[in-house]
Amino acid sequence: MGQRLSGAAVLLAAAFAASAATAQAPGVTADTIKIGTFGALTGPGYLYGKLPMNGVEVVFDEINRAGGINGRKLQLVREDDRCDPTAAIGAVKKLVEQDQVFAIIGGGCSNATFAAKDTLEASKVPTLIFASVHDGITIPPAANIFSTATTSTIESQAQLAYAVEQGAKKIAIVSMRDSWGRARYTPLIEAFKAKNIKPVADEELSPDANDATAQVLRLKAAGADAVLLLLYPKPAAIFIRDAQKLGFKPLSLGQTGIADPAAFEEQVGVPGATANFRTISQVRYTPEDPKMDKWRKLVEAKFPGDRLSVYNLFGIGSAEVLVEALKRAGKDLTREKMTDALANLKDVNTEVYAAPITCSATDHRCNKGPAWMAKEPGGPIKVLGFTVVGQ
Amino acid sequence: MPFGRRNVLLALLAIGVIVPAFANGYQLFVCNLVAIYILLAIGLNILVGYAGQLAFANAAMFGIGAYATGLLQVHLGWPFWAAFPSGGLIAAAVGTLLALPALRMSGLYLALSTLAFAQATQWVFLHWENVTFGAGGFKTPPLSFAPLPVDKPVGLYYLSLVLVVLLYFFGRHVVTSRIGRAFVAVRDSEVAAESLGIDLLRYKALAFGISGFYAGVAGGLYSALLNFVAPEGYDLFQMIIQKSTIVVGGLGSIAGSVIGASIIILVLELLREVKGMQEIAFGALLVGFVLFMRGGLITVLRRYVRGWEEPLRMTPRDPTGALPQSEARPSAADK
Amino acid sequence: MLLFSYLLMSGVTTGALYALVALGIVVVNKATGVINFAQGEFFMFTGFVGWMLHVQFGMNYPLSFLLAVAVGFVLGMLTDRIAFRPIAKSDIVSLVLATVGIGFILKGLARVIWGGKADYLSFPPITSPDPIMVGPVMVIPQQLAVLAGTVIIMLVFAAFFRLTRAGKMMQATADNSRAALLVGIRTDRIYTLAFGTGAAIAAAAAVLTAPLTLLYPDIGFAFFLKGFAAAVLGGLTSLPGAVLGGLIVGVAESLAGGYIHSSVMELSPFLVIMVVLVLRPSGLLSFRKARRI
Repeated sequence: MGQRLSGAAVLLAAAFAASAATAQAPGVTADTIKIGTFGALTGPGYLYGKLPMNGVEVVFDEINRAGGINGRKLQLVREDDRCDPTAAIGAVKKLVEQDQVFAIIGGGCSNATFAAKDTLEASKVPTLIFASVHDGITIPPAANIFSTATTSTIESQAQLAYAVEQGAKKIAIVSMRDSWGRARYTPLIEAFKAKNIKPVADEELSPDANDATAQVLRLKAAGADAVLLLLYPKPAAIFIRDAQKLGFKPLSLGQTGIADPAAFEEQVGVPGATANFRTISQVRYTPEDPKMDKWRKLVEAKFPGDRLSVYNLFGIGSAEVLVEALKRAGKDLTREKMTDALANLKDVNTEVYAAPITCSATDHRCNKGPAWMAKEPGGPIKVLGFTVVGQ
Repeated sequence: MPFGRRNVLLALLAIGVIVPAFANGYQLFVCNLVAIYILLAIGLNILVGYAGQLAFANAAMFGIGAYATGLLQVHLGWPFWAAFPSGGLIAAAVGTLLALPALRMSGLYLALSTLAFAQATQWVFLHWENVTFGAGGFKTPPLSFAPLPVDKPVGLYYLSLVLVVLLYFFGRHVVTSRIGRAFVAVRDSEVAAESLGIDLLRYKALAFGISGFYAGVAGGLYSALLNFVAPEGYDLFQMIIQKSTIVVGGLGSIAGSVIGASIIILVLELLREVKGMQEIAFGALLVGFVLFMRGGLITVLRRYVRGWEEPLRMTPRDPTGALPQSEARPSAADK
Repeated sequence: MLLFSYLLMSGVTTGALYALVALGIVVVNKATGVINFAQGEFFMFTGFVGWMLHVQFGMNYPLSFLLAVAVGFVLGMLTDRIAFRPIAKSDIVSLVLATVGIGFILKGLARVIWGGKADYLSFPPITSPDPIMVGPVMVIPQQLAVLAGTVIIMLVFAAFFRLTRAGKMMQATADNSRAALLVGIRTDRIYTLAFGTGAAIAAAAAVLTAPLTLLYPDIGFAFFLKGFAAAVLGGLTSLPGAVLGGLIVGVAESLAGGYIHSSVMELSPFLVIMVVLVLRPSGLLSFRKARRI
């Protein structure tokens, strides 16, 4: 109970600190702007939380080195959500009520962010989502929540459209039954219905799977000529490996979860197996691209031992958009101005995203141009083009 | 008697009552979580600490309570006030059924079979999409405390607090009654208990049922707190948090459950300050608690707080006796 | 029939992965009566150590393998010293939680050290990566290496328990620790040895299977769960039982996936466990001794 009492003391102290805040907008002082971020720092979701946050931090450092925005330096406050809905709500409440941040950039795991949507909306804090793809986060739009992640509907529609375009007649699905996989699966099935076709096979693969023989055999029996993979790189690599083993070579289509074809080729590990593999990326470049040298140096210098990854790039792109909106919101920052600035972003070019970023008052999905990529086994990565989806 | 268990707990309760007066939204949210975990801990402690059943299904029971409460509202249009108690009863019923495998096995075998049950429950949450909405989860209808003059967070907090007080006394009553003594007899030796005329099926079913009820009630409150139910919240990490609450508080103590749950939840929130190192810090804390507070905080309190008396000192003396194994071999070290 | 052969083969090769984890769990449990919930994290951590030595530092494979096994052994001994020996007389829930705590620490460390290197690190196989024909079915050669490794580890330890002095002392401690102590066996050293050996097996397993499974900080728990299931199915103290249990879990998954639907794959091992344990409450290869009173 000593703990409980000292907890109470902390509560009281925080209450006083809050009342001492100045007339400035919350989180803004003459020379700083406090920006919050939430996502998984721990647990399997850290790929979509901690790593984009590292990207955001590197962008903020660059801005601060150049003197900040209107003379104000950017501070990043990180909160962990462990990919858990409860912890996400706790993290957002803490950022808003205790840390008193001006704006939020973050959101890794879909369900966690979706669970925190009500809390975010009620807080009116301008929010930019960097990785969560769940459609419910941006549809229906909350006045203050925007996303630079290509949401699941956009990518699922693009996957199907691409397969049809390539002349596939018998299209199959292999998906993970977790919140990430389902967020993509549901709109994919709707896209199938809209095109009036039926998947010839619909199989499931666990995120920790170590064998996909059963799935491959079932797809082979169904005669699939294209496979849409709603999988993380690990199960996708297992699937492609076992497909190669069993002589099954359909057109295989990934999505943003497998955005680095070079790393993926290595993960599959069987020479030539990725010949028919194409994937979507919400960013235009892979980490090995010479155009990313600047960011690679910055990330690897700030986080020793790390290698620049696509997950870092998600954060870098999103942070660039946030910075642009902060600049446009002007010197007298208020949350209303910031929200307006986000809602009126039009054709903003970033250094990493495939397409320019455009938000509007009615559509808060600001990144709608996923890029298609492929890598010939042993050859270089090629950007095949962009599928621009949606209204 | 200036200190004493009762006074300490009353002081805690007094703090609990006045929290909404000065807490911000985040702090109130955390305090509500504490209340929910106190319920979970009391239920789990009755099952593990008193009845000696090494079960790993409490997170699943918690989930069943949350899903039942949420789904009865969403699918059948029941009001929260009907769905919530039903959720508790459904979890109690499922819990009671779990006693059937427990009749045949014990120790680590029971641990694995209940773990298997928990994984199967997760599978159902994920796959029975027409009913559970699958991996994406679902939002529960907003909860209103009208005509009472409180908003939802405060109302829910006080509802949780009232239930904590009621179920604390219920738990105390169970463990100090004939039933509680029978649980302890079953824990210490099933054969001896049977020879005393204790019906194993009946008492195991009671222990599983009661702990299921606590978990179900906690689950209902949890669904209302989050306004959202999804499979993520009821996995094995959840089980580990719950297990740590009873070990940190003290096995075989209802008051210990209250303290353990409060500490673990507050620690988890305080660990937010060691950004990115929470796993390491939480792991080290678990090891530290087990190493340096053997018997849980309740043992420390008993030693240092004047007048602290525990009804029926029930911390098991013999480690193997605590959780009888089916084989005749000592399972932990003898030095 | 070809379908069946393929499913059986894939079940056996996956089952071998589970069996490797189960062997480590059994060795620890045999001597101490505790389930090491950090076994999966030993597997993960030592796998990363092997990767670091072999891929990052360019050390040759056999040396990396041996060093990873040595690191595993030390990790296991440390776990015994820190999280088992001082509390050996506590209740089993506390013992389990202490190993859970060790697991969290290892997972957190791995995330800090290697988590930023890639989402899933790949580990080059020791065999050719191209699939080969075995009877009527195609197999990836590394899968055969894993299968062989499983059998070798099982045989080595079965021989160790029967033939060596240390092994016999471990067996005696497992059977009756009080009596073992009375005849002069330093049982505390036996516990240290058991934890070290269990973690060393995890390391061998990890380096052997990493080319097939890839490495990531959260790989441990799924493996632990399946390995625990395999160990319990086999009766918790039997090495052949652990291997049998692993194969049952692997084959159950594969057949359920092939003949019913892939969505029931994850459920199938748990259904098998519930059925087996209700019928044989102490596992397949364990013979019930007198009930403890």
